[in-house]
Amino acid sequence: MAMIEIDGLTKKFGKFSALNGVNMSVNQGEVHAFLGPNGAGKSTAIRCLLGILRATSGRALMFGQDAWRHAVELHKRVAFVPGDVNLWDNFTGGEVIDLFLSLNGREPDATRLKTYLERFELDPTKKCRAYSKGNRQKVALVAAFAGDAELFILDEPTSGLDPLMEKVFQDSIVELKSQGKTVLLSSHIMSEAEKLADRVSIIKDGKIVTSGSMSEISARGSSLEELFLSEYGRV
Amino acid sequence: MFANFGKYFAFICRRERLSSPIWLLSIVCFAVLCASAYPGLLPDKASLIGAMTMMNTPAMIAMMGNVYGLGAPTQAIAMAQECLVWFLLAIAIMNVFLVNRHTRVDEELGRQEMLIALPVGRMTGSVSALAFASALNVLIAAFISVGLIAFDIDGTTVSGAFAYGGVIGATGFLFAALTLLAAQVLSTSRGVAGIGMAALGLSYILRASGDVSDNALSLISPIGLGLKIEAFYSDDPLPIAIILAEGIVLAVGALALNAVRDHGTGIIAARRGKSRASRFLRSPFGLARRLVRNTAVCWTVALFVIGCMYGSVASDIEDFAADNEMVSQFLEAAGGGTMTEQYIAMLFSVMGILCAVPCASSVLRLRSEESRGRLEQVFARSVKRSSMFFGFVVISFAEGFVMLFATAAGMVSASGGLIEFGVTLQSAFAYLPALWAMTGCAALLVGALPKLTALVWAMIGYSFVAIYLGLLLDFPAWTMQITPFGHIPQLPVDEFSFAPLVAISAIAATLTAVGAWRYGKRDIAQ
Repeated sequence: MAMIEIDGLTKKFGKFSALNGVNMSVNQGEVHAFLGPNGAGKSTAIRCLLGILRATSGRALMFGQDAWRHAVELHKRVAFVPGDVNLWDNFTGGEVIDLFLSLNGREPDATRLKTYLERFELDPTKKCRAYSKGNRQKVALVAAFAGDAELFILDEPTSGLDPLMEKVFQDSIVELKSQGKTVLLSSHIMSEAEKLADRVSIIKDGKIVTSGSMSEISARGSSLEELFLSEYGRV
Repeated sequence: MFANFGKYFAFICRRERLSSPIWLLSIVCFAVLCASAYPGLLPDKASLIGAMTMMNTPAMIAMMGNVYGLGAPTQAIAMAQECLVWFLLAIAIMNVFLVNRHTRVDEELGRQEMLIALPVGRMTGSVSALAFASALNVLIAAFISVGLIAFDIDGTTVSGAFAYGGVIGATGFLFAALTLLAAQVLSTSRGVAGIGMAALGLSYILRASGDVSDNALSLISPIGLGLKIEAFYSDDPLPIAIILAEGIVLAVGALALNAVRDHGTGIIAARRGKSRASRFLRSPFGLARRLVRNTAVCWTVALFVIGCMYGSVASDIEDFAADNEMVSQFLEAAGGGTMTEQYIAMLFSVMGILCAVPCASSVLRLRSEESRGRLEQVFARSVKRSSMFFGFVVISFAEGFVMLFATAAGMVSASGGLIEFGVTLQSAFAYLPALWAMTGCAALLVGALPKLTALVWAMIGYSFVAIYLGLLLDFPAWTMQITPFGHIPQLPVDEFSFAPLVAISAIAATLTAVGAWRYGKRDIAQ
């Protein structure tokens, strides 16, 4: 079953087209890498999927339902981590995590929360003002993983993490996969995508130019990085 | 320990090339221009004696300090009496921010770490910041003194001008040293600024209570002590010497602590925050409430204090009106009723507009959260657009009520029973629909025209000009009628009428509804 189904999605900001008919689908239980350089349209597509931006035309479905119209209901089953985590200076990390978890209408599960705080070595008593970029990223990751979402939409979630935390992140994704959860992972770190992904979509100028499973790609005898660079004409 | 002081000092000068000259120019120009206004304000002996007598009332003493030189009043004495305390406050604020900016803020953001890694002494930063602040204070003191001598209003003496400038400079130095000490003790820049401001507030309050009851409390306060120079009268240099000595003691203490503590820490460790969110924070409404809470509390206190200030002069209202042409014109324009009733009506026509500022700013907070990229994560959860929108709007509606109540309560409580609570509340709450209309405008802009939210400030600014100056200068009636504030009956002078209040409330509700509808349909974007 397709957890995400995007069909001819177009988004215009004035005259500028950020998305030009994006088509892609993400199946249940897979980790789907969404690749593209900055400005290719990854974040715009994700924001349309989350009902934060309204598509100019085309459809975006999650769990088979319209992502804009049913946003509030659908989000109960979704967790999101943005690439640029902006938080409130005078809230503590713990307050933000609790707030984000509660906004889905359920009380946070204290043991799960504790597990992830320990895994990511995050001090929840510090004010967000005092967190580094990596620590703000961890706040968003803990808030995502400590809930019980079915679909994880992660927009360059590891951009500020150190190698140790990158490893913790990758282990957590593998764990989610073993639990049958679905992950859409936007990234421009090829090694990360290569390690985690089952399937890949590459976006260029607001269009999906390649998609396929990792086994197809390796059968062609090229690495993910080579494929990506060739799509962008850099080989 | 002090290696590379010269280069570090030059580095601070470069970083300060914009903000310090602005502070210097504004304080000096303001001080000199204030003085230059006195020959026009108090041209003769009679007006001087009237003004000094007016200042010799408890409310005025609490605000501006004890009166001196009643026997031989001059324009210079009256000027120092009314102005000096405000410049002491201003220079103290300048020094708190200045020293904090170059010490704890740098340390907190990790900038100072890079500098210390260079061949720079551990104390170089503190000493340079203090030296820069001292130099700036000396310049301001000198410019003010010379400026006052140059304008030479009646009663100006060279010793008086230097005492006046000198005490401003010395107070600045004392607060610079105090901030430097706080920057060693506390580990957050907010804490340091907070201590500086709290010390200043406490000095002002101690001075007010000491001056009113004539006891030693005002000598403990540096502000109170500073006023004891009695500029242009006794020109006593002793207070300046004591303030400087206090500053030196604090500075030495600060440097001693700086020499022994670890970089990046304070003597007192930062408090740990809450590890969990309270029950009240865990909803869209709770989030909205928390985001506007601090600003709303500050406004409530500020409006209460302003109310107190106006209420405290209620007993002198007739003298006040006789002395001040603007007030008497305003009162005449307001129509019938007793003097006190007219005063209440006049005050609320202005205070009502001021109360609209926090109401509008609460709604606009929704937009500034969006442009800072914080709402994406909220709306990526199971949160309705309308619950965030109405969270802020409902708070803003309630704020209108609270702000008017705080103003009224301040007026009544400081009036010594002259102003009646019931009458004042009626007059105040008549403005609720107008405040709601401003909330509605802000809501419409946030929902439908998020790039133009500043228009609401234009509306409020226009209302103020049209109402305040319109009455004085006889603007045509329509200029007042295009703002909701022009339709509010000015109780208790005007007849109460229901119709405009209902109509304005209905408009407010419509604007809000359209805003909410548009907000649900549009992109959330930076």
